[in-house]
Amino acid sequence: MSNKKSVLSSRAKTMEFAKAWLIMLPSLVLMTFFVWEPLFESVRMSLFKTRNVELISFIGLDNYVSVMKKDDFLQALVNTFSYTFWSLLIGFLLPIVLAVLIGETRRWRGIFRTIAYLPNMLPGLAVVILWSNFFSGGKTGVLNILLSHLNIPPQTYLTRAEWVIPIIILVATWKGAGATALIYMASIAGISPELYEAATIDGANVWRRIIHIMIPAIKKLTGTLLILQIISVFQIMYEPMVLTKGGPDNASLSLMQLMWQYAFGGAMNYGKASAVAVIVTIILLLMTAVYSYFNRKESDWE
Amino acid sequence: MNRLFKVVSLLLALCFVMTAITFAFAEDGVIDADLTCTITLGNWPPDTAADAEKALFEGYKATMAVQYPNVTLVPDYYSYTLSNYVPMAKGHTAPSIFQPPFTDPQLLISQGLVGDVTDALESFGVLEQFSPSYVEMLADENGRIYGLPRDGYVLGMHINIDLFREAGLMTEEGLPMYPKTLQELAEYGKIIKEKTGKAGLVFPASETYGGWLFTNIAWNFGCVGENALEYQDEDGRWVCNFTSDECIAAMEYMRDLRWKYDILNADATTTDWAGAHSILGTGEAAMNFAADDSVDQPTANKGLPVDSFALIPFPAGPEGRYALAGGTCYMFSPDITSDQAIALMAYLKVLGKLPFLDDQIISGMRADYAAKRDRGAPVLPAISAWTDAEYNAAKQAIIDEYCNVDMRLYNDFFDSISQGTITLKSEEPIFAQQLYRELTAVVQRMITREGADVEKALRKAEEAFQEYLDDEINDY
Repeated sequence: MSNKKSVLSSRAKTMEFAKAWLIMLPSLVLMTFFVWEPLFESVRMSLFKTRNVELISFIGLDNYVSVMKKDDFLQALVNTFSYTFWSLLIGFLLPIVLAVLIGETRRWRGIFRTIAYLPNMLPGLAVVILWSNFFSGGKTGVLNILLSHLNIPPQTYLTRAEWVIPIIILVATWKGAGATALIYMASIAGISPELYEAATIDGANVWRRIIHIMIPAIKKLTGTLLILQIISVFQIMYEPMVLTKGGPDNASLSLMQLMWQYAFGGAMNYGKASAVAVIVTIILLLMTAVYSYFNRKESDWE
Repeated sequence: MNRLFKVVSLLLALCFVMTAITFAFAEDGVIDADLTCTITLGNWPPDTAADAEKALFEGYKATMAVQYPNVTLVPDYYSYTLSNYVPMAKGHTAPSIFQPPFTDPQLLISQGLVGDVTDALESFGVLEQFSPSYVEMLADENGRIYGLPRDGYVLGMHINIDLFREAGLMTEEGLPMYPKTLQELAEYGKIIKEKTGKAGLVFPASETYGGWLFTNIAWNFGCVGENALEYQDEDGRWVCNFTSDECIAAMEYMRDLRWKYDILNADATTTDWAGAHSILGTGEAAMNFAADDSVDQPTANKGLPVDSFALIPFPAGPEGRYALAGGTCYMFSPDITSDQAIALMAYLKVLGKLPFLDDQIISGMRADYAAKRDRGAPVLPAISAWTDAEYNAAKQAIIDEYCNVDMRLYNDFFDSISQGTITLKSEEPIFAQQLYRELTAVVQRMITREGADVEKALRKAEEAFQEYLDDEINDY
């Protein structure tokens, strides 16, 4: 009897396994064709001399050496870190502030939430073009028209090397902050109301509730979103491509844009383009590993 | 009046279709009933195109159906860019015919990404009538032909006459007092900026455009022959030469346009080709380095009336008068068979792109020029890519019928070409796009940093491009 039971249970387990694999199969097939295969192909291509997408001969790390010793690579690398820095400065705190403010709002919370998310619903290119008109340097630029009412003469913005990256990050933040704020809001909504009630009874004001309840509750999420933001900003491409075309004098050239230039910007060197892509991947893997290491250490302490 | 033009051009297009259909019922219309194949035709007008244009292409299709009844034409809305073409060619999904600019044929030929049509051209008897300079651009080192010129262009300057008038730069005959030298360009631009507040010159200095235009300025400062921006040395190695005195002088001129004369548009480093046309067309700048094939951009597309627009020759520099000659060509998928190659030549013949004229082709040309006039684009003499004098004269006679501009605003441009007062040059011979990219970065530095060191910036660009030449060709 017990033998029969165990056979039944092992058959049920097999069925469960089969079901699980069947459910996963479509995703696995899609991932294999559209994620893993291109990824491995890119690594392989980066080790070959190429003629458009054909592999001509194995050259080891030559593509990496050739790419890395060029000035524009160094410039793109510095710029990409600069994008990340400005993104953390401008774009990291803003969604948290938005989420906290909206979370503390008692009336019209839904409307504020919609307004915050609205820019995210606009097509990315439309947003960039819209902002390019805002920062246009001539007398017809929207910002210059506004400034003219204060008797300030027309300025140029997107042609100034020192301003382009902060401006591009401002544009990216304007578009993306609402979506990130929504995630924080969802996390804040999950905090037990009893905690707030207890804190209020104990005489805690809004500021103390934020410091002692809200922020600790979203701390872990903050870490995850931080690393996701770094990964996302590290791959910034279409914003500088449309707003500044990487200029002036490569001042806003990002690594992904450099990769695009190698592949499609006239050089048609897919081997070097793949090398840049692999370098970006390695940098991001390293940064994620460092984050995970410190995050685990912190969890261990807790 | 505009409506009348529209009706007339639509009628002309319909006439063309009717001619094609009438031809269909004539038994002798068949040229080759044995030719059996399918060709896909890139750049087919989309559903949003003007009715006249769509009717025109339907007419071409109908004609082909008569002349080659077993050739199947598959319209394709494909529009070429280098980045979208390569994967299509490698994946065997490229259309049989597509239209790249003249910067790309040599790259595509060297990479084996285009089809050979030499034998098909020979069978049509037109191989010898190519303008030699175009053959040079479209052939490999063995003389095999991979493309046909669609149209040629010569770089000159587009002028917004309204701003010249506002700045008082008009002759007694009511024509714009346009700059004949680069020095005058700077001076007139300054006058325009002071008198109108608008940019004297729009200079698209983004991506590769800045370097592309700069090469033209550099040629006029003497960067040709032994001082060329790139050349082959005695050992056959390609050498980059951005630090000649001539190139440095040209770049200093570029810097002066911004910091001494201050005539450039505000966002030059983010302005592209289309943006430059827009800025001139909307009256935000008075001059733009542009060619005869894009006269419809500031006029028909941006609303500048044709009588406020002029096309002038490229201004001369201290060391000569040069201008870029280029254009758009037809190229073919690397997968085409010999039958498909013949069918494609037949299609181009119907389009009037081969040096043949018959009633149908003339009817097609009329419809084409009427459509241009209807859109408010100047109908101008064409720079022919063929050496057949009879064909060129007959074509000009038709163009004259539809001409909608005061030719005094264009004569100097066309005369400079026909009379040889300007030397036409093709693009820099190899890796032109990469060369432009390097020079664009220098141009951007010059116009955004007042104290930028010209020689140092050019040396840095020279080293980068030399390394590129070594990697891609010298040490390949």
